[in-house]
Amino acid sequence: MSAAPTTRPATPERTAMTTATRSAAPSRRARLRSAAGAEARLLVRNRTAVFNSVLMPLLLVAAVPALGIGGGEVGLGPTLLTAAVVISLVYLTYYNLVTTYVARREDLVLQRMRTGELSDGEVLTATAVPTLLVTVGQLVVVTAGVVALGEWSAPVQPLLVAFGVLAGLVLMVLLAIASTGFTRTAESAQITTLPIVLVSTALSGMFFPLSALPEWLSGIARFLPVTPVVDLLHLGFSGTTWEGDPVGDVSVWTWAVFPAGVLVAWIVVGTVLARRGFRWAPRR
Amino acid sequence: MQPATAAPPTRSGEPLAVEVTDLRRSYGDFEAVRGISFEVRPGEVFALLGVNGAGKTSALEVLEGLATPGGGTVRVFGADPVRDRAAVRARMGMLLQSSGLPGDLTVAETVRTWAGTLSAPRDVDEAIAQVGLTGRADVRVRSLSGGERRRLDLALAVLGRPEVVVLDEPTTGLDPESRRQVWRLVQDMVDGGTAVVLTTHHLEEAEELADRVAILKAGRIVLSGTQEEIAETQPAVVRFTLDAGTPEPPVPAAVQVVSAGPRHEWHTRALQPVLAELLAWAAEHGVVLRYLQATAASLEQAFLAVAEGRVGDAA
Repeated sequence: MSAAPTTRPATPERTAMTTATRSAAPSRRARLRSAAGAEARLLVRNRTAVFNSVLMPLLLVAAVPALGIGGGEVGLGPTLLTAAVVISLVYLTYYNLVTTYVARREDLVLQRMRTGELSDGEVLTATAVPTLLVTVGQLVVVTAGVVALGEWSAPVQPLLVAFGVLAGLVLMVLLAIASTGFTRTAESAQITTLPIVLVSTALSGMFFPLSALPEWLSGIARFLPVTPVVDLLHLGFSGTTWEGDPVGDVSVWTWAVFPAGVLVAWIVVGTVLARRGFRWAPRR
Repeated sequence: MQPATAAPPTRSGEPLAVEVTDLRRSYGDFEAVRGISFEVRPGEVFALLGVNGAGKTSALEVLEGLATPGGGTVRVFGADPVRDRAAVRARMGMLLQSSGLPGDLTVAETVRTWAGTLSAPRDVDEAIAQVGLTGRADVRVRSLSGGERRRLDLALAVLGRPEVVVLDEPTTGLDPESRRQVWRLVQDMVDGGTAVVLTTHHLEEAEELADRVAILKAGRIVLSGTQEEIAETQPAVVRFTLDAGTPEPPVPAAVQVVSAGPRHEWHTRALQPVLAELLAWAAEHGVVLRYLQATAASLEQAFLAVAEGRVGDAA
């Protein structure tokens, strides 16, 4: 059995080390870059994730003309771009983030990242950055493709397009964080994400104008989270309403009030759900 | 018995690294931590001992700033670890009982990434060397053994030159060699003035490292003080066996007889005089004390006494 604690002479260089100045703190941006860089490296090393996030959305967008989606008043260029935004937001941003956050949580990585100097917001952001960058990259690639095909036409109202894409991106991140609350494993994300990935996307107006649906169903569909993004893109790109008609005499801005309101309302709901549903550690 | 607080007499002018006052924490109706208090000074190692479920990890999570207390306060250099998290974390390192690391990064990449998020990181190669992973720097974390991973965890915990380190069962699952390596690392930090709070199952670990110890049971500190003070709460033990037909020895006043003949077990708080009296009697009567054994009170004995409810249930 050990008796008295051993004597502990304080070595000068160690004392100097612990009292070293802490003024050279890295900026928030530098911290975030370090953590997000590691996350990007992980994404690149995960072949499944690379396929899902880089190739899959492009293949889906490429399939759009073949499926005969759009047409009518909307040209191929805007149709492809709208499809690219929706597919990227839903399949990439939303789905990828749900699986990533859940996988990191179940592997106890999120809890570990919280033990350092990163704030909670920085931990969540660092994990999301690579996915968000790939999302933006996809949109750039598709836009370049549309231009190369000679299908590019300047948006009727670029501000509506920009608002739709950015607000949609924010909403998808929030819904992804909220969805981790009822997703126990990365595998079960395939099921828990279906309400957004399947239902909300199918009824978003991207594949067919919602006016083709029975009135009660289109009424519901207009309040689903992906629909306002599609509405805003249609209005912004080609000035067509959710019913697929040209806006006519009424300004696009008037038509934009409703979807913009729905989108903002969803962002508020998403924020509340994300705050309530998110857990840093697995349920024991 | 020691009073149920672990606070040493206050010496003015010395800053407290950690100050926990009447900490409480509940999960629903279950109160896991029921009002514990302790203080830790720079250069001091404080060990929280207790069986599983005693409330060690629940208490540490508040100190780490990962949970809010149900009652009481926790201060690290005077700051609240939850509210002033950014300020506290720049001076604090922690090793959770279990935590994960992405499997697809190498050891060096993991340490470099972590260093990139810290205010005052130490040298990456030096940190890797210190936990004996230099030869494994380019190996992916996925391929490390459990012990190697735990040492990597520890390297990250102390990478920011912390002034306070919280270690929740730092050596559980480690082989003896790795355990010694971890002890050396902790000792080096303490020599440099770091305050350490640790929990452990291994009494040997507490005996090796801790300046002061608190034994936790059902969310309360039952015994606390230096190892010697805690050990002193328990009696010393004298054991011997007498052959048949030998006369019985007189029982000294300071002895509690736990077992009498032929295998005698005496408990006493005056080991030396009792032993002297016994040996004098044996010499005088030509008696052989077979298997004679005299054991001073130990931390382990106190720990077991608490675990078995022989100490502190009245508290």
